[in-house]
Amino acid sequence: MKNEVIIEIKNLTKYFPLTSGLIRQKKVAELRAVDGVSFAIHRGETLGLVGESGCGKTTLGKCLLQLYRATSGQVLFDGKDLCQLSNKELRPLRRNLQLIFQDPYDSLDPRFTASDIIGEPMRIHNMHRTPAYQKRIDELINIVGLSPYMADRYPHEFSGGQRQRLGIARALALQPGFIVCDEPISALDVSIQAQIINLLDDLREKFGIAYLFISHDLAVVRHISDRVAVMYLGKLMEVADRDSLYESPLHPYTQALLSAVPIPDPTVEKKRNIIILKGEVPSPINPPSGCVFHPRCFKVYEPCPTTVPQLADIGGGHQVACLHYPNSWPKSE
Amino acid sequence: MSDKPLLEVRDLSTYFYTQDGIVKAVDGVSYAVDRGETIALVGESGCGKTVSALSILRLIPEPPGKIASGEILFDGIDILTLPKDRMLDIRGDRIAMIFQEPLTALNPVLTIGLQITEALERHRNMHGAVALEEAIRLLKIVGIPQPDQRVKDYPHQFSGGMRQRAMIALAISCEPELIIADEPTTVVDVTIQAQLLELIRGITEKLNTALILITHNLGIVARYAHRVYVMYAGHIIEHGSSQDIYHHPCHPYTRGLLASVPRLDEPRKTRLQPIEGQPPDLIQLPPGCAFGPRCPHVIDACRQAVPPMTEVSPGHYAACRLAVPDRKQS
Repeated sequence: MKNEVIIEIKNLTKYFPLTSGLIRQKKVAELRAVDGVSFAIHRGETLGLVGESGCGKTTLGKCLLQLYRATSGQVLFDGKDLCQLSNKELRPLRRNLQLIFQDPYDSLDPRFTASDIIGEPMRIHNMHRTPAYQKRIDELINIVGLSPYMADRYPHEFSGGQRQRLGIARALALQPGFIVCDEPISALDVSIQAQIINLLDDLREKFGIAYLFISHDLAVVRHISDRVAVMYLGKLMEVADRDSLYESPLHPYTQALLSAVPIPDPTVEKKRNIIILKGEVPSPINPPSGCVFHPRCFKVYEPCPTTVPQLADIGGGHQVACLHYPNSWPKSE
Repeated sequence: MSDKPLLEVRDLSTYFYTQDGIVKAVDGVSYAVDRGETIALVGESGCGKTVSALSILRLIPEPPGKIASGEILFDGIDILTLPKDRMLDIRGDRIAMIFQEPLTALNPVLTIGLQITEALERHRNMHGAVALEEAIRLLKIVGIPQPDQRVKDYPHQFSGGMRQRAMIALAISCEPELIIADEPTTVVDVTIQAQLLELIRGITEKLNTALILITHNLGIVARYAHRVYVMYAGHIIEHGSSQDIYHHPCHPYTRGLLASVPRLDEPRKTRLQPIEGQPPDLIQLPPGCAFGPRCPHVIDACRQAVPPMTEVSPGHYAACRLAVPDRKQS
């Protein structure tokens, strides 16, 4: 069993200050990108993180990797709280924490060749003066399914899918235990997406890597994840094992999300009931009171606008933050 | 069936003449839309679906682009031979377009209201307060809250979903007979996507408007299209009713595409089945069938000549040598 926790976050928040004025900048408001999120990822496990754009998925991923410093909360990795460490202290730990970006066009340096790109993490960690360096690059090119003759090519000579393979090879270079995949396939064509998903699947199996897989594509998340977390306006709405989340979603938001995904089958589509949510995602600068989802919820009732639901286990590791479930009511102290 | 289709595209070829060579973005494409019908053009980026739709409106930038050959008949009018000013009468009035990215499609320095009244003035001879009143009514139809206030806003003051609603209001302002929606929901979230598509469906049903839906999302196509055209590398490789395409796909590309996407309603597969390889370079298309190099069933004949469209069952066509006419198997 993969019970050992590799990375855990506790009550993580990230607020971005909004300032006004050119010289003496005053803080006028806060954007609550991530608001009190806790979860743990086990060794070799994939946690899918879904939600609409602007809900804080990417910010959360960057906070985990300390690319953003969290406003409060803890990121526990290897027994250390990364939020307390200086950049210098973090550097050796970063080997274990890598990132695959969404856009394979912006995330590769156009002046680097493929082998420069893949070797960069090793150069940063001073591993390039060994004979193993070139060997490792060749090995990585092979692992991600590129051909050796491509090593001296520049990014513009590669297609989108091949570039994403380069990004993956770079993330693998230091043999990390944990990779944040931030929408790794959403810039790719449908016929290429499956290639990259299969590659990520293989790598997990081969090297026991844990992923935080950030995506808005619920069908892809179901395919790749062991557990899934649903995020809305900076908060987690529901966290559960893949099968229980997709087979019996408990939170109204999850139910609406799943019903909104069109299924490529006209016969199935004719029979489906789609839940159409009203309105749009509110601004994280001025989030709604109580449950942040209540203005759009189709199951809203009296306490929702005033009481903030807590993410709570309602049995079998299925966590939900909705006032329709007694466990989610805040504990009175 | 008996009536003539509203729009008929025959053997359309649109090429782009670039320094690197001729890009055959659309190469011998034919399709038809009936009144009130929704058809979908499906395919991956670069397959020519947008160019083939822009050609209908003659919005291809020339140069480098050029409609090299073909015929486009809209309600009996040959669009390609029409003088420019007559084209302006049709564009926005009888054929409207919903673009993928409303932020670039809307004019940033004009208010939403002005952009809608502009169309009303041009095509409906409405002016001043009457046109403004109509613009507010349209914004209300597409579900923009407080339309009398928002009509004075600029596009940047709208959220992404709102902007797309405003685009829809603009598109339906003159009650067109045909709407072309080019990836109308690719830039918005899934819950907003559901809202917008239901809105478009409601409007097209009410006004009996024909809709050409351009998308790469096979789920959206299944939900909304009556008939489907699958495009690959500038060609239509298969078309038929959505039942035909989804339940009896004949072309290996269509089959591959359907097999490669994970589905929420089916048990989870342990492994996805990707289509191997990359889409071809449109400047140097492989000889014969463009899908040949990626096709698992490729035979020698495929490499020699482009396979002709064959009817595999009534109304269901595929351009593949291995697609033999047969009874539909269940």
